[in-house]
Formats: sequence, C-alpha cells, structure tokens
Amino acid sequence: MERTVVKIDNLVKRYGELTALDHFSLEIKEGEILGLLGPNGSGKTTTINCLLSLLSFDKGRIEIFGKEMTPTSYDIKKEIGIIMQNVAVFDELTVYENIDYFCGLYINDKAKRKQYVDEAVKFVGLEDFLKFYPKKLSGGLLRRLNIACGIAHKPKLIILDEPTVAVDPQSRNKILEGIQELNKNGATVIYTSHYMEEVEQICTRIAIMDKGKKIAEGTKDELKRMTRNTETIIIEILDLPKAVRDKISVLPHVYKTDYDDDKLTVSCSGGKHNLLRVLGLLQKEELSFGRVYSELPTLNDVFLEITGKALRDKEE
Amino acid sequence: MQIFKAFMKVLKKKLPSGLIYIVVFLCIAIPMSLNGKESEKYEDSTLKICIFDEDDTPESKALIEYIDNKHDIVSFEKDKDVLFEKLYWEEADYALTINKGYSKALANGDTNDMFGCYSVHHSYATVYMETYLNEYVSSVRAFILGGQDSKDAVLSAADSLSEETDVEIADNSDPDYPERFSSYFQYMPYILISVLMNTLCPVLMTLNRKDIRYRTNCSCVRPNRYTLQLFAGSTVFVTAVWLILMIAGLFMYGGLFKGNAWLAVLNSFIFALVSTSIAVLVSSFNIGSNGVSLLTQIIGLGMCFLCGVFVPMAFLGKEVRAAANFLPASWYIKANDMLDGTNVFDSSKLATYIMIEVAFIVTFFIVALLIHRIKYNDSDSLDS
Ligand SMILES: Nc1ncnc2c1ncn2[C@@H]1O[C@H](COP(=O)(O)OP(=O)(O)OP(=O)(O)O)[C@@H](O)[C@H]1O
Ligand SMILES: [Mg+2]
Repeated sequence: MERTVVKIDNLVKRYGELTALDHFSLEIKEGEILGLLGPNGSGKTTTINCLLSLLSFDKGRIEIFGKEMTPTSYDIKKEIGIIMQNVAVFDELTVYENIDYFCGLYINDKAKRKQYVDEAVKFVGLEDFLKFYPKKLSGGLLRRLNIACGIAHKPKLIILDEPTVAVDPQSRNKILEGIQELNKNGATVIYTSHYMEEVEQICTRIAIMDKGKKIAEGTKDELKRMTRNTETIIIEILDLPKAVRDKISVLPHVYKTDYDDDKLTVSCSGGKHNLLRVLGLLQKEELSFGRVYSELPTLNDVFLEITGKALRDKEE
Repeated sequence: MQIFKAFMKVLKKKLPSGLIYIVVFLCIAIPMSLNGKESEKYEDSTLKICIFDEDDTPESKALIEYIDNKHDIVSFEKDKDVLFEKLYWEEADYALTINKGYSKALANGDTNDMFGCYSVHHSYATVYMETYLNEYVSSVRAFILGGQDSKDAVLSAADSLSEETDVEIADNSDPDYPERFSSYFQYMPYILISVLMNTLCPVLMTLNRKDIRYRTNCSCVRPNRYTLQLFAGSTVFVTAVWLILMIAGLFMYGGLFKGNAWLAVLNSFIFALVSTSIAVLVSSFNIGSNGVSLLTQIIGLGMCFLCGVFVPMAFLGKEVRAAANFLPASWYIKANDMLDGTNVFDSSKLATYIMIEVAFIVTFFIVALLIHRIKYNDSDSLDS
C-alpha cells in the first residue's frame, strides 16, 4: 500500500462570519497528482495555506509525511515545494538570483545549489532569460519563474496553487507537462485550479470543493460516473418551436433540454444512438440545423449536478 | 546567509537614490570648510557688542571703554526685532543696556538691576558676557570697598582685569577648529536621515513584503533568523554610511579629531542609530516607495528645521522649541551645540542628551517590533 503523504482531517477555518473551510478532509498518497478543483472563493488557497501552517485554523488536524504539521515543523517544510497563487519573487533580483535565493532557503551547499538552480532553469526553459528582471518577463515566463523558485530544491511534495492563471495555452501545456515530469521523478503533487480541463489532463485523482466543503472525490472516471449524464448533444438550430422541444424532452434517455442562444442542448443518461434519435426527430419535423456535436460528460456536469451551478463562468 | 545576501543585492539597486545625498552634501561641505580655514582668526575671543548707555555717567563710560578694549562695539537701533535680526545674522553677539542708576548702584553695592540685555539664550557669547560683566562689577566693588571712590575704582578694576582675561582664551591653538567642526556635524542629522530612509526603507520594505515573507516562512528558515539577517545587513550598511561621513570629516578637519570632536563623533553615531530606527519604523508601514520619499522629505526637512539643524535653536519660537523636545534631532543638536562651543559644555547634560537619543531609538524599535508582530502573526490577512 502506498504511503499517505498528506492527511487533512476535519479542517475548519473561519474568517469572522465566513466559514472558508467547513469540516474539510482529504488524504493524498505518495506518487499522486491530486487535483483540487473548485470555483473562485471555494477555499482552495485557504486549504493550501493551512496545510503550510501559514494560517491558523479553528479545528482539525494536518499530518504531512506522517507527522503533525505545525509552524515549526522545519523538517517537514524542507521537503515541500510551494508555488503560490500570487507570484512571490523579488523585483530587484534577476531570474537567476531569484531562483538561487529560494533554492538557498533549503540548500546550503553552494555547489549543489548551483547544480539545482541550473536544473530548475532548464526545467522551466528560462535559459535565455537568466539576467532578466521579473518586471521584464511576460505573464507566462513569470509563472515559470515562480515554478522554478518552488521546485529547485527537489521537494518530495509539490504544491501548486493555480500556477497557470493568465498563461497562454502554449506556456500552459509546457507547465502541465513539467508537472507530470516532476511527478514521474517521484514527487507527490497537489494541484489546485478552477480549470477542469487542466485537472482532467494531469491529475490522477481529483477532489472537488465548493464553499469550503469537499463535495466529491475520486479519479476522473469515478467522478464522471457519479453523474447520470452520459452524453450531451448540442445542436445549432434557428427558431426551434416549443412543441418540438417538448417532443425531444420526452425521447427515451433524455432527462433535460435547454434552448438558449440558438443552441439546443440535450442531456442524455445511458442508452445508445441518442444523437440519431434526436436528429431523426428534427428531420421528421423538417427543421434545418447547423453544427451538431456530442460531448462525453465533463467534470462540469458533475459539479453542476451536485451544486446546481456551473464550475465557472462561460467567458473565462 | 541567503537573506543577508539578498539584502545586499536589493540594497545595491536602491543605493543610488541615497548616495546622491552624501555626494551633494560632501560637494557642498568640503569646499565650505576649506574656505573657512583662513578667515577671521580671532573671532571667538572678540565679540561684537552693541551697547546702549542709559546711565551716561563717567562710570558707565568707563565700562564702555573697558569693553571696547577687548571687543568690537557695534551700534544699532534699540528695537527688539532689529536686535534679534542682528543677533541672528551674527552682526552682533550681545546687546547690552547699561540701566539708568548704574553708577549709583555701583557705589552702594546694589548690583541687581544694573544691566539689561538681548542675547542668544545659552550661547557661548551670553555666558561669556555674563561672567565678564560679573567679574568687572565684583572687581570694581572690591576697589570701592577698599576705599577708592568709584571713578578711581573703575580704572583700577579695568587695569587689574585686563591682565588676567587674556590668559583664559590664549590656549586655543586652532581657533577656527570648532567652527569647521560645528558646521560639519550640524547638518549631519539631515544627511543621515535622508540617506538611511531613502535606502534602508525600500530595502526593508522589499524584504518584508508579505508574499515574500510568507513564501520564506514555507521553507526551513526560522523567522528569527530572517529578522536577524535583516538586522545584520542594516547594521553593516548603517555603519558604512556613518564611516564614510566620518572619514570625509577627517578631511575637513585636516587631521584626526581631537578633544570634544570625539564626543561629536559618538553623538553622530548615536544619531545614525536614531535614523536607522526611524527608517525601520517607517518601513513597517505599507506606504509604497512614493510614500517613503514623501515621508523622507517630511521627516528629514521637517524635523531638521524644527530641531535647529538649519536654523540655530535659539532663534526658534518658544513653542517650537518645546515641540522639538519630542523629536530626537533636537537632542542631537543640543549635544552638538555644547560640543562646538555654541553653548557651555556640561558633561552630565551631554550624557542626559545622549541617553534621550538612545531612549528614542529603543522606543522606535519597540514600536516597529509591535507592528511586525501584528502584521505577521495575524496571518488571517494573508490574501488581502
Ligand atoms: N484574509 C481573508 N479574510 C477574509 N476572508 C477571506 C480571506 N482570505 C480568503 N477569504 C475568503 O475565504 C474564501 C475562500 O478563499 P480562497 O482564497 O481560499 O478561495 P480560492 O478557492 O483559492 O479562490 P480563487 O480561485 O479565487 O483563488 C473566499 O470566500 C474568500 O473571500
Ligand atoms: Mg486561490
């Protein structure tokens, strides 16, 4: 059986009236990439900060590597790499100096540190920017610097708090691949995000949280099995008569229809040939339609089903 | 060492904005002090005295003559404002009024109300003149009591006194030494505050940035170690700035410090620490870099004006002087005024002044520490 690396037990954290974490529990095993998924304000950062003993909490207990985590657990802290949500680097130091500074907080040996820093630089692909000051870096490069500062000392547990916010898709993919590589090299990873695609792409296990509570947990497939949705059919169609929509909603396996913005969304649960049945009906009604596509369930469906709201706003 | 190293690197980036003050200061101070060297050799033994004779008797005339022998007599209108202006611009050092009834008072020994004066409170000239007049009057009285009439007594007194007084002043081998000394240390508070606030504040603010502190707290560096290394960095920097100023000072003196100058050196070091504590205190507020330079101007210029760095304290209003007591620079200046001979030297007073400066340092550091405690232990405001 794999070792438990992190054990969060019944954590309660209040900010005055607001309960940011509400009896939150979570276990992370060695070698996992655990995705902590939740909309803005759901308590992801709060969880991370409690985990690192940066925040005091009202109730609960946190164990890392089998020992209780406290603000003075320096032997535990030594093994953790943290990439904060807000980029925390010195504007006055160059890329290289920044990585060297943060690596030096853990590694005293000069030669070893130099080697580690060089490896981190290579890992995030900042070789050409060593003499740059952070202000001169683009958003994506800055995020990469932030990551390099967090992982240079080769920690066993890496915690990334939304490391890809405001990063273009190309940089994002590079970052995600990097995280998977770190994991392959033996690090356990906690990855928070409100982008479900990212989480689906790299995480071996996912915990979904909302309003400080864990609302679901499991592998991607386990989670998707939790929703009755098996297929979502989307059809672009102008002026859909109400009568036709009613007919569609009573087709077999269909449990929900939506018509919005000239787009018909049909949610199906189980069964086969759902798409053909819907299209057949439209053909019989002699309605013409544009683009048609069908989607397998996403984590958003899971979230939607449990909380009744979407994981994030459309425009994001 | 990581934090100390980062301190020095950040300092290197912020240094130019502070060093410019030192450069400008030295550019002004060095030529000034070199010019001062050749001028007015005997100034400090010869005072400019303005006399109003309301008694107008042979006795009062004799006194005027006695004073004239040693000092320069200048004449101005007898008007308080005019006189204070003359005193301010050092066109006169002392304005003496010989009150009506002087000769009678001299004859019958009622010496209380013989003189009136306008002078700079506690200045060297004032104290000197008071002693000088006292000596004269006691001496005249002695001859009267010895049986001479007052006309002869004033002459005998003048004779006997003129022999002694010269001896007192003679042993100052380099008369303009205190003057060079004075102007250099006089402006020191402004320089120290400006330099230290302009450099130390931004550096400390960077290294105490909340996200950086939290990020560092995630590592195995103990928070006390962090503070300790910041402390070490600041100490090295402050000492370096102070040493630069002292070494430049040596040039201005044309040699090693001597006598009271060593106390002025000590005083300036204490004030360097005062400036440091102010910088540390200011840097514990989140006021941004513009805020810091604004505050540097306010504290630097404001305090220095109020405390007699630019304008001698004696010329400031009573209220201002009272208010200045709450500012550390005024105690530096009080100590310095005694050391450069503006005021009479008193070692116990000097010790008190320096202790008060130290008390300011301790207070500022404690307040800064409390602010830090509140800021970093109340971790709940992490994201805000
Ligand atoms: N210092 C604070 N004081 C008061 N409330 C806070 C503080 N920090 C966070 N909160 C609140 O706690 C809740 C959880 O915040 P948290 O930052 O953990 O969310 P998050 O999941 O990280 O969101 P995001 O995706 O925007 O980063 C939010 O409602 C937030 O407003
Ligand atoms: Mg967050």
